[in-house]
Amino acid sequence: MKTTKFLAATAVLAMSATMALADGPNIFVIGGKPDDPFWSRVKLGAEHAGLVAEMHGGSVTWLGPQNYDNLGPDAAELIRQAIDQGADAIVGPDWVPEAMDPAFEAVVAAGIPLVIYNAGGIEAADRLGAMNYVGAVDYKSGEAAGIYLAEAGHTNGACVNTLPGAANIEAFCSGFNDGMAASGGTGSVLQLPATAFGDSTAVAQAVRAHLLQNPDITALFAIGDQDTNASISGIQQAGKTGSVHVCGMNFNDSILANIQAGTQDCAIDQQGYQQGFFATAILINNVQYGTTIPTREILTGPGIIDASNVELVIAGVQAGAR
Amino acid sequence: MNPSQTQTGARRLSLGALARRPETGSLIGFVVVFAFFAALGGPVFMGAPGWSSWLNIAAEVGIIALPVGLLMISGEFDISVGSTVPAASMMTAMLAGHYDLPASVAIIGGLTTGLAIGFVNGLLVTRTSIPSLIITIGVMFAVMGLTLGFAVMIKGSTSVSYVPDPTTKFLLGQFINNMFSVTILWWLGFAAIFFYVLHVSPLGNWILALGGDRESARNAGIPIDKVTIGLFMASGFCAAFVGVAQVMTYQQAQVAGGQAFIFNSIMCVVIGGVLLTGGAGSILGILLGTMTFAVVNQGVFFAALDPNVGSIIVGALLLAAVLSNDTFRALAMSAAAKKT
Repeated sequence: MKTTKFLAATAVLAMSATMALADGPNIFVIGGKPDDPFWSRVKLGAEHAGLVAEMHGGSVTWLGPQNYDNLGPDAAELIRQAIDQGADAIVGPDWVPEAMDPAFEAVVAAGIPLVIYNAGGIEAADRLGAMNYVGAVDYKSGEAAGIYLAEAGHTNGACVNTLPGAANIEAFCSGFNDGMAASGGTGSVLQLPATAFGDSTAVAQAVRAHLLQNPDITALFAIGDQDTNASISGIQQAGKTGSVHVCGMNFNDSILANIQAGTQDCAIDQQGYQQGFFATAILINNVQYGTTIPTREILTGPGIIDASNVELVIAGVQAGAR
Repeated sequence: MNPSQTQTGARRLSLGALARRPETGSLIGFVVVFAFFAALGGPVFMGAPGWSSWLNIAAEVGIIALPVGLLMISGEFDISVGSTVPAASMMTAMLAGHYDLPASVAIIGGLTTGLAIGFVNGLLVTRTSIPSLIITIGVMFAVMGLTLGFAVMIKGSTSVSYVPDPTTKFLLGQFINNMFSVTILWWLGFAAIFFYVLHVSPLGNWILALGGDRESARNAGIPIDKVTIGLFMASGFCAAFVGVAQVMTYQQAQVAGGQAFIFNSIMCVVIGGVLLTGGAGSILGILLGTMTFAVVNQGVFFAALDPNVGSIIVGALLLAAVLSNDTFRALAMSAAAKKT
């Protein structure tokens, strides 16, 4: 019984391997769960790039884990699956280098072109011998918010840090401060106690107290949509609506409504659709025509959403691309 | 700073009848902490912006701390409040924001979610011999998973936004004078109800007896299962109420969040002089504990201290409260013993 099952499984694998070996470029993209809101946009980007592969008689195959419980080993397994199925090129995120780097090294050792995207940075691409890195950098997202607000004339800003110690949040905040400084302003960090994390009221009251004690502050940067909404409430309760301006990381329906209503100045987006689209497109062209992109580290973000483009973003949300 | 001051305070007042009141320690803690931050925070902290700032915090955690306190007095824990808050806000935002149902239906839906979670907690606690700490942790994770699962399944997103109509916003989500959250009034209302339950109605003695000695309480004819289930439903309801109020205030619901309420509510209750093992505590104490907690939390921002200092103070207060509880209880016991 077990043997037949095993044989059947091998047969299915072999079949899918032969099926995948079509004439054109066959690109395998490793990513998150397809029903994850962020990853569904990345997947759509990869699929849209895949239209070009189909034009050449090739294909784009999305490989995602069932869940995130055992992310590193599961993703490494998906990378090896892509090699086994005869991928012409592979796109993958370096989420857990310890678990995934050996699999990526196997890709490069097999002579398969590789692009790292979403996580790992250009450092991971260099270390692994990948062609390129496609993704956003947290530091630059914060920097973009700082520059945006300072150039709009709000030169004293604070970054609302609800999770002190988390490396990515520190990167957002130091980027924000540097962005403020680069445009002639000054930035600081409002550190919240760990008890405030995820509690909108605690964040709102902290923001309000900080603004009342520091009347010079006219700009805020919040990480995540929940903290952004809470910060807006804090500004309102401090009686400073209109005089203190906010940018936030990421967006959702209510953030877009805030931007339309003018209570929020901008949202910073890492533009997941672009990650899937460009990483896949680079490899399709490379396999088909041998072209390369000499620009190393393709940044897909930060993208800025403000009153000038919010309508377009709302249309993009409906299309599943933003 | 705080442990020593509370301790000396205890000794100085040890002869007075005041010292035998269970909330004396909490009152001293509150006065010391308030004076400390009033000195550092300056006029802004002493003015309406400062008061409203910490009262807004106190109101939300306070509404949850009241039933959590009653449960602790009866000898039980409720950790599940941490996921009841987001579950109820998600239910409300989903019904009103996604399915466009009237706000009243959405609010009832949110509150019913809380009652149902409380009922499951109570049922499991009374039907099994598993400690409530473990059961409510289990229920918390189950509810967290269900909330995330349904949100992603129905909405395809981890947050749902909803803009409430003016009446609903006025009742649950507005800021009076653009400063004082309307939740403060609801908190006082809940406090009055729980005060009646614990200190006036016969139910109060039942709850205290439950925490003192469960078996004796059963033998004395107290319907202990009904009381326990009722208390868990009360805490589910109150946590859900905070969740609903948050939707109306911040106009969106998130699947995560609310976890902070678990420890914060327990801390308010313990700082308020409730005995961790049950059998002793008062509503006034819980209110004072909540206010102390909120003053420390908000005070650090007005005093321009590192917020981590606030966490240290809260931690120290917690230990001081437990120590002084023991002291006050010993005093009360010895005083009572002398009388007889």
